[in-house]
Amino acid sequence: MKHLTRWLVLLLAFAMVAAACSQGDDGDATDDTEATETTEATDDGDSTETTEDMTDDTEGDGGDMMELATDFGVDTENMTITLGLLSDLTGPFGPLVSAIAEGIRVYWEDVNANGGINGYTVELDVVDTVYVVDSHVQLYEEMRDNVAAIQHSTGSPHTVAILPQLAEDSMLTIPLTWYSGWSDPALNANLLSHGSPYCLESMNGISYIAEDTGGTTIAIASVPGDYGLDGAAGAALAAEALGLEVVYDGSGQIIPSDETTLTAVANGITDSGAEIVWTTTTPGTMSAIFGQAIANGFNGAWGGNSPNWSPSFVAPDSPIKDAIAEMYYNSTYQVPWFDPAADAERELFRQYNAEAPALDYYLEGFTEAKIMHEALLAAYDNGDWTRAGILAAAKSLESVELGSYAPSEVYAGEPNERVQRASYIGRPDPAGLAAGESTGWTLSEGPYTADITAAYEFNEACYSLDG
Amino acid sequence: MIPTVVLAQAGATNDFAEMVAEGLSLGSIYALLGMGLVIIFKATRVLNFAHGALTAAGAYLIAAFASIYDIPGRWIPGVAPWFSWTLSVILALIAAAFLGVLLERAFIRPMVGEEMFAVALVTLGVDIMLRGITNDFIGTDPRPLGDPFGTQILDLGWVTVAYSEVAQFFTAVVLVAGVALFFRSRTGIAMRATAFDQEAARAQGINVGRIFSIAWAIGAVLATVAGLFISIFPRRSAGVDTSTAFFVFRAFPVVIVGGLDSVVGAILGGFMIGFAESAAVSYLQFDFLGAGFGGIVPYIVMLIVLIVRPYGIFGTEEIRRV
Amino acid sequence: MRGRPLLYTSYQEDQSLLNTWTKKLMAALFLALLLIAPFGIVPGLGFLGDNDWVKLMSQVFIFAIGALGLNLLTGLAGQVSLGHSFFLGIGAYTAAWLGGEAGGALLGEGLPMWVWLPAAAVVPAIIGLIVGPTAVRVRGLYLAIVTLGLVIIGEYVFRNWKGLTGGSQSGRTHPEFQFKFWKEGTPLFDFGQDATIAGFQISSEVSTYMLMLGFAVAAVLVAKNIQRSRTGRAFQAIRDRDVAAEVMGVNEFKYKLLAFGLSSAFAGFAGALLASFVGRSIPERFDLFLAVQFIAMIIIGGAGTVSGTLMGAAFVLILPRVVRDLTDWGAAIVESGEGVLAWIGDLFIATSPDDFGLINTLPGVGPGLSVDQLNGVLFGLLIVLFLIFEPLGLYGIWLRIRNYWKGWPFTY
Repeated sequence: MKHLTRWLVLLLAFAMVAAACSQGDDGDATDDTEATETTEATDDGDSTETTEDMTDDTEGDGGDMMELATDFGVDTENMTITLGLLSDLTGPFGPLVSAIAEGIRVYWEDVNANGGINGYTVELDVVDTVYVVDSHVQLYEEMRDNVAAIQHSTGSPHTVAILPQLAEDSMLTIPLTWYSGWSDPALNANLLSHGSPYCLESMNGISYIAEDTGGTTIAIASVPGDYGLDGAAGAALAAEALGLEVVYDGSGQIIPSDETTLTAVANGITDSGAEIVWTTTTPGTMSAIFGQAIANGFNGAWGGNSPNWSPSFVAPDSPIKDAIAEMYYNSTYQVPWFDPAADAERELFRQYNAEAPALDYYLEGFTEAKIMHEALLAAYDNGDWTRAGILAAAKSLESVELGSYAPSEVYAGEPNERVQRASYIGRPDPAGLAAGESTGWTLSEGPYTADITAAYEFNEACYSLDG
Repeated sequence: MIPTVVLAQAGATNDFAEMVAEGLSLGSIYALLGMGLVIIFKATRVLNFAHGALTAAGAYLIAAFASIYDIPGRWIPGVAPWFSWTLSVILALIAAAFLGVLLERAFIRPMVGEEMFAVALVTLGVDIMLRGITNDFIGTDPRPLGDPFGTQILDLGWVTVAYSEVAQFFTAVVLVAGVALFFRSRTGIAMRATAFDQEAARAQGINVGRIFSIAWAIGAVLATVAGLFISIFPRRSAGVDTSTAFFVFRAFPVVIVGGLDSVVGAILGGFMIGFAESAAVSYLQFDFLGAGFGGIVPYIVMLIVLIVRPYGIFGTEEIRRV
Repeated sequence: MRGRPLLYTSYQEDQSLLNTWTKKLMAALFLALLLIAPFGIVPGLGFLGDNDWVKLMSQVFIFAIGALGLNLLTGLAGQVSLGHSFFLGIGAYTAAWLGGEAGGALLGEGLPMWVWLPAAAVVPAIIGLIVGPTAVRVRGLYLAIVTLGLVIIGEYVFRNWKGLTGGSQSGRTHPEFQFKFWKEGTPLFDFGQDATIAGFQISSEVSTYMLMLGFAVAAVLVAKNIQRSRTGRAFQAIRDRDVAAEVMGVNEFKYKLLAFGLSSAFAGFAGALLASFVGRSIPERFDLFLAVQFIAMIIIGGAGTVSGTLMGAAFVLILPRVVRDLTDWGAAIVESGEGVLAWIGDLFIATSPDDFGLINTLPGVGPGLSVDQLNGVLFGLLIVLFLIFEPLGLYGIWLRIRNYWKGWPFTY
């Protein structure tokens, strides 16, 4: 045994010396063959140097092509550009985000089928963060040198956690979260947000419900964190502006992993006898609180932010479908899937995916992809597809037209001028869902901007994330 | 649909009565879970950490038989929905029993004679595995169980109770009686003998392996029934989803309070903790307690009991020998 | 003595840290390998120089520190604890309070690392000693559930103490790794910035890696020394038979309490490192799953051994990465549709919506395990398989390989 280990040790030592000697060669080889690959990028020092190399390559190969500066995620040889998706595919928002990711995939498949972006094929690097901050950070770390921009990043604390890294990498990122704080210049240096923030969405929703039902008392309940507390803050603002009495305030009281909090909130809502309920939570907890509240005899009007809703509420087998149809108001950022305003998008989607169930969230995927598309085109026109170039082009966008299914986004001006104030309000439609004619709800009004929302002076986040 | 009579009386109900009703409802679920854990522990000396996964898997089986594939309802058209639903549930319970036996044969039997910790940790691994597979079947949206109770509510004047909660309470009572009777049957006595001393039981001609399988089958069936009532109106109206499995983490204190090896303890512990939790949710609503105090009440009760009696109220003290 | 590896002439020699010449050399080589790995110059392991791997390996070191703590408690003293993540949380938030910046309603003193890092070990140790007596009173499975309660109650406290933790789902930032004398503006050395040391360009990732490696080595030495001291032997005596240990004069209460305190100190230290390493944490981070991960590390590595614990930590953290890469690789082969490999792979991997496979690489569509679910299932399966077939874990496998080669080429 002794002899053997000695031999092994000797061999190992020899191998290491040999490796150290041949190190130089290895390095060169890597540079030649896979210039854009991770190994090159990890040197991490000057990206400008790499940029120059790449520009030279392009000139050599391309001939008539315009001079395009690139660094990460763009393969000038195979003419591809890679975008990263930090998605929650199997976590609490899995149903939404996987449909959004599918919408994005279809959009780019169509772009690629029609010649790509000036000949460049768009490729996607999709990873599943499971809505966990640590995995989000680690997965970003794994993908950052392979992508030119982040097509979406799910979750606010998650996105905040990678902000320093995004800044270091000059990485354009579309946040897949409607946190009102994205308008804050301290946070949005790398972000291009879209849609009405939870806070303003709550205002629209409550204003609509109050008008529709004439209710004067309101109960508010939400999950903790940026999503829940931002939505609840908007609800409180709406109550103040409309003169509604807040009879129960359960902001941040819903803990999805703890069933007792659902019972407590349901009891609180029932005992308050509110005429309007506004919840900012997840579909699973929403159905539980709603069920327990109506079991206690509650029958007020009920609304909630977009991620509250799931078509499964009104599925044929759902016990609460009739109660939901009677009491619930759905709020969201675009028209329903079957709305005539989304005809073009729906047809396009079905060309590439005829099988997938009808869901609204594909449209959100289209929105994100379209915004990214605009940014990439603008950057291409500047001849700069480096990450910094894409970010700069995105930041100089004035507005993005999304089509008739969602309001266009304005990116120029102060937060108060550019914030998206319009959202869409609808009512559940179990019959339509059963007949396959709707995604479970129909549009009542949209794009809808309530008077109180239009008048709201938006200068800072409704709820701020400390530290 | 919600009867309008109830709506007119909303708020007229008595808080205390609501608390008692919720305590009974929660308590019966805890008792079902606790009994399953105790029966498995008594027979095989395993604290089953995979009980949560079994609950979710069982609830999914019901959803699959009753709602997704509609077995056997699709072959016998024309029968009342509640009848075909009951048949589906029975099939699901049989499937769950087989699942329990399968887990026991595959993962627990090889560990016979090993330390208690080691086996408990095996079930922890089984829990993670089974939950992953179940979650894949459930998918991302909740799966409704297609139960016939709907959102119907029984209005007793001073309290409103969902039909499903009434059904749940009676099911629990029937199952408690069933377990009590089972322990008087031949197999039940064999199980008690096995619990007392495996080798002596074997010497008496008891097929200990069979007893193990039966215990796991019963445990899985009880977990499935609990999973059913966790996943329907009013508790989780949308159905079984990926968080259903976590409910059981609140039931572990039940068996500790009652004593790991006492069926009576599990039932009493279940109702005790059910009431404590329900009372905390109803009456302990102070701002300084923040969100979710009710959720830790089972553990607080457990700690208090353990300080007084380290083996639970009805548990047998282990005699320590060198 | 040369050439007679198992001949010890003194008790001291038998108990020394690295009792054979081979072990000393292997340890030195392994350490050298870890030291040069992040520069990407190790042949065949060049990928270890990639930033993502440097960060992953840094996490391995952090988790190894925490796992060494659990190994003292569970592996040596035989007390199963599901509450390890609670102590990680205490450590992380002690560090955040002392070292973090105050902002809004957040607590933070902005003290330097030499204050917050030791405090992150001391405070959890004290809390471990406070809750210890209750835990010492109960035995076996009862203890497992009591420690489970610790995690659940701890998560409740973390969620609701907004000033300390930033609140549920919001979280807070944690102090950065910087050397400072006191609260001065420019640190002596900042691990968050790329630096030049003696003409060498060192990226922030690599310098942080080195810092974590240093802490891990220190933790290994401490753990190893505890294990071979009187305390370590007392722990093992309690594990093997508590009553017998007491009869031999081991104070059961004192040593169990000590085991709790020591293990909590390791956990707290690791928690502070982990939170600061990621930069931001939410209270939900310190949940039961984290505790189970630690248990898996010592089961898979081999309970009771330091080297096994290290292997376990590396295994549990690196496995998801490897599985993900393998799946991507497999999916690429299947999509290329060429060769036998693609045909076999197609049986297991679904790459299009109408395909069926055990693994599904599409975002959330169709049946088949997603990569994350696959990782979960494998994780559970490994815990089970190791417990059933190799209770000594990876360390046991290593022993077998070593023993096989000892007699090679003669099997006896």
